[in-house]
Amino acid sequence: MFSYIFMKILENRPRSYDRMMDRASRGRILSVKQTIAAELVDANHVLDIGCGTGELAAMLAVQGSKVEGFDVNAEMVEVARQRILKKNLANAVSIHQMGVAGMDGFPDSDYDAVVSTLAFSELSDDERHFALKHCRRILKPYGLILIADEVVPQKKLKKILHVTIRIPMLLAAYLVSRTASHPIADLAGEISSAGFSIQKEIRSHGDSFAMVVGRLEMPDTT
Amino acid sequence: MNPLKFIWGMFFRLFPCPTKIELGRIGNPDQQSPVLVTCNFYLTVRRLFRRLKGMNAWLLVTDSRGVNVWCAAGGEDFNAHSVVSAIKTSGINDLVDHRKLILPSLGAPGIKAKDVEDQTGWTVQWGPVRIEDIPAYLESGRQRSAEMKRVTYNWRERLDTSIGALFPFFLVGALGFLFFGSHLLWHYLWVATVTFFFFMLTCPWLPGKRGLTKVVLLEIILAIVLVVSEVLHLPYRFFIRADLIIAMVMLFIFGSELGGLAPTMSSDLDPFLAKLGIGTVGNVAFAGTVRTELLNGLRELAYDRDKCVGCRNCAEICPQGCWAFDDQNRAVLAEKERCTACRACIVQCEGKAIKAEAKIQIH
Repeated sequence: MFSYIFMKILENRPRSYDRMMDRASRGRILSVKQTIAAELVDANHVLDIGCGTGELAAMLAVQGSKVEGFDVNAEMVEVARQRILKKNLANAVSIHQMGVAGMDGFPDSDYDAVVSTLAFSELSDDERHFALKHCRRILKPYGLILIADEVVPQKKLKKILHVTIRIPMLLAAYLVSRTASHPIADLAGEISSAGFSIQKEIRSHGDSFAMVVGRLEMPDTT
Repeated sequence: MNPLKFIWGMFFRLFPCPTKIELGRIGNPDQQSPVLVTCNFYLTVRRLFRRLKGMNAWLLVTDSRGVNVWCAAGGEDFNAHSVVSAIKTSGINDLVDHRKLILPSLGAPGIKAKDVEDQTGWTVQWGPVRIEDIPAYLESGRQRSAEMKRVTYNWRERLDTSIGALFPFFLVGALGFLFFGSHLLWHYLWVATVTFFFFMLTCPWLPGKRGLTKVVLLEIILAIVLVVSEVLHLPYRFFIRADLIIAMVMLFIFGSELGGLAPTMSSDLDPFLAKLGIGTVGNVAFAGTVRTELLNGLRELAYDRDKCVGCRNCAEICPQGCWAFDDQNRAVLAEKERCTACRACIVQCEGKAIKAEAKIQIH
């Protein structure tokens, strides 16, 4: 009985997700999304991997992009859809409930940019590898990939500091979505290995957060 | 072995204990080797590797949020999406030349086999309930005996699950006595331990079908002993009183938890709270889910014989053996009283013949 109550308390609470994550991250998530949106003012067609509550998708649509977003969490998708309807962006944004495994159904060379915030750190190694492989396939030549996520700091001291600081954030994420993130050891390296040239890597928050911008230099022929 | 994860998994089983989501190799698997699917609960994966030593198989460790197969499937965290994602992203398609997937039988309430088949092109086969039956299952050409399909709750399983789930309560009690009543700490430790082992080892033979009803007799006996010791002014009355009260409180906790721990029983919580008229507490919902409504009698398992397509999935995956077949290959809900509302038959029925139908309420 008691354990059941405890498990229930940890149920999904997507409606308060943005607020809690923003508080836990001391405003960093919103500013990262604004930075990404600013990079993509000219992008026509954008894919948002793990779109969550649709905050970034809505920002991009307001700038004039056609956005497709997907998230595996049904309740998150519902909140995102409501946000899009509320903002009258239904013509510009479509939200799907699916995981990265469904990316093999997307057409080749269709997107100008792929974005993802705080989603890659929730994926398994295999899923990240798979997602990046398909990002390369679905992007138009010279398309951009922008991923912002938790990363493992490079220096030992910062690593220790990072573990201490991220505990409240981990707890917030766990309480609202029952998912735990795994900071990525080498985000830029993984994006680069997938066939992108790294344009920018901005590290912040004690080296524990990174935004990586990659560009698909050559048309994909595989 | 990761000792921290082992201890966490063994004694704090209320909390997830995740291990890496990956394609594991048991022995030296090749293109013909079987592909087994499991959750990413550390202890389960460890036990699989230990039990299957000497065999060659692929082990697809899929995302169940670090929770065991049965609980994660019941909570829908271990689902078709987890399995589809693992198949597509792990590269297993290129490593074997067959397309047969062995799913854990107790994953049936969460993983809709048809969705996995439709989205991946693989054929699902249900494996045995217990890890130790896997070698015999594979050696017999993937034939499952009736015992392999049924869930049990023998003394080893009872000790294993109850130590894992009840240890935190034991610990909280110990800390409480340490700080607020240290003169009774040793009493608490031995009384709680003896009560725990006595209840968990004898519970199948105690009268009652639910955890809370099983403790009633014991609680009455203890209450009588308490009254007698008070009336007779027995020596060491204070300690007798303390020991008996500790035993009664611990028994109540163990009894409350038993329904949630035993795979052969249904939860006590939902019908209990529903009877009290409590639907939600804060964001914690006790009413409204199919499972809850099945348990509290708002819905009942309804079966439409005309829709039965004879897929036999219900009989294959029911861990309680509730379903049988008539001579026309149609399902028959033969042992309804054994049902624990796990919903596996509803999820897997190909003809949508089994439903959790709302009961007509007469006011």
